[in-house]
Amino acid sequence: MAEKRRSGVAADPKSAKAESDEEFLSQAGVGALLRGALLKLVEARPEDPIGFLAEHFTNEASETESSGAGDGGDGDGGRDGDGKYQDAQEEQQLNKALWHLSSAHHSQRSAFNNNIRVAYDLLSQCGSARRVPGGVQGRLYTEMLRCVCSDSGLSETAAAPLLRHLRCHDYEVVSFELFRQAVLTCAAFSEYVRRAQCLYAAVACCPEQPAERELCDAVLNALREALDTSHGPDATRYLEASAKISPAELARAMAKTRGASREQEGPSMDMREFEDAAAALFIARVRVVN
Amino acid sequence: MNMSSDRFSITAEEYLAETSALFYLNDAVTQLLEHREEFLQFGIGRYFAEYFTSVKNGNHVLFREFSYVKGTAHNRASFIHIFWKCFRQIGKNRDLLTMMEYTSLLQLLCPDFPAEMVQNTAKIVLMEDAMDCPMSLSDFIYSFQIQFYYEEFLESVLVVYEDLLEGKNPNAVIVPTSTSAETISSEEADTQEGVESSVLLECIEGLCERFKHKHPPLSAIKEVLESSTRGSYYGFLMALAKHEGISQEIGALPNRSDLLIDPEMDQELERLVAQVAISPTSNSSSSAQGLKEPCRKPSPRKSLHQRKRIEMESDGSTEETDSSEN
Repeated sequence: MAEKRRSGVAADPKSAKAESDEEFLSQAGVGALLRGALLKLVEARPEDPIGFLAEHFTNEASETESSGAGDGGDGDGGRDGDGKYQDAQEEQQLNKALWHLSSAHHSQRSAFNNNIRVAYDLLSQCGSARRVPGGVQGRLYTEMLRCVCSDSGLSETAAAPLLRHLRCHDYEVVSFELFRQAVLTCAAFSEYVRRAQCLYAAVACCPEQPAERELCDAVLNALREALDTSHGPDATRYLEASAKISPAELARAMAKTRGASREQEGPSMDMREFEDAAAALFIARVRVVN
Repeated sequence: MNMSSDRFSITAEEYLAETSALFYLNDAVTQLLEHREEFLQFGIGRYFAEYFTSVKNGNHVLFREFSYVKGTAHNRASFIHIFWKCFRQIGKNRDLLTMMEYTSLLQLLCPDFPAEMVQNTAKIVLMEDAMDCPMSLSDFIYSFQIQFYYEEFLESVLVVYEDLLEGKNPNAVIVPTSTSAETISSEEADTQEGVESSVLLECIEGLCERFKHKHPPLSAIKEVLESSTRGSYYGFLMALAKHEGISQEIGALPNRSDLLIDPEMDQELERLVAQVAISPTSNSSSSAQGLKEPCRKPSPRKSLHQRKRIEMESDGSTEETDSSEN
């Protein structure tokens, strides 16, 4: 590529195409392309902007190329080959959708919402032969949520209960609002589990030994109370809930149980159990889709 | 690419200024305009994808003009890495090259690469002495890395250093009537070379604040300067060049002990050499034929093995270059 740049610098008779630089750029659509890229970049603010742009442009290019190829391929071709082609295309769209979702953290809410929209549009274009009007197929939706969970580091067993709440039938069509809620829930859940793991590590005083059961129970209770804060307008609820699980409050709860039981070596609780208990608190508050 | 972790709390403009994204987008469009016929056939989107992929992989600086090569920290690191990849074999053969020869090699990769940069590198390797002395690749490349990657910072350090030599401390408030010159000369400053390390460190700490990310890690600078009480400018640079932590921070070169080791590339090279060795005699299925008469022509493959053995016998250090520490 670099060599190409060097060769043929001046010799080409460019006068034949006497369009100005600006005309050329606007005709080729460079402005729109760059504007889109910059917007994405500023929205996501990735740590490695060059890698981000490389992936972004690669995605864009394969999108335009595949849409061009898709137009040609619709006409003929055997049933069998067509089906395979569909599957490959579906997987490609799924990967693209996942990539879009991963480019912004869910706390960057406007960027994240935008990306969900892009992902939704990508997935609703899938399977043109078996096209369902007006949305994403249930099968793709469930597959997508599974991928979101595993990509964000959740183990399959940890994700399974949540997915049971969120999944829908393969033949159903998923609306955007449900899609958005579900993706957001998965992203928030995986973060929640990560935090729960940190919490457990903090409760267990040294990393080799499991934490004491009583302390864990105290912390889980505090967590439950915080999640149960359900009256009043949103803003006050958030403040109240976060006050209930502030470090000082947790320390107080833990100190209280310590005070009640004097003996040193109580029964313990391992990481797995704590994590499951914390996850259950979260999942109990997720509405079942079906 | 160093970036502050609070990149979400700054404005979009500040974020863009901290990244070099605009530099590359700018260059990509310029290149596109210059060679529009060539790139149009791939499609604009594909062109940008290719451009940024090559930037990411670090092979975008090959054969580009010097102003581009030194344009960003990433470009500089990429160039150092490419230089190493291309001319590693010189180090393996234990050849010593002069300043002029290194300049020619660099200009193969970047036609307008200035000789001055090489000259400054040679000053580090040779401690500003016997400048036409040949240097080993490993001595050269680590000094070159420091010189090229931190060029602006080193220039500022030199200014500070020269000020200190003349007896004025750039950090101190200058009172014209004060007798600061006396205090320096009263200590036996004239008999010793260089400046006091602690004073230099103080001044450099001030510099680092102004240079944001574009300086070697301060901890490494401290380590280097605290190891001796006095030192010269080039002694300091030489110590920076030898500091493995700084090299790791730049990320363009492997550790000194691994500089010449790359089994994958060696294998590839041996395979190529073997092909060359066999192919002239081959007609149809003649690999066996080629093996039958291996002694007739001097096999480059064999000499490669011999070379390897010689290398393993020697201790692998890079002492052949005349670079006395003090």
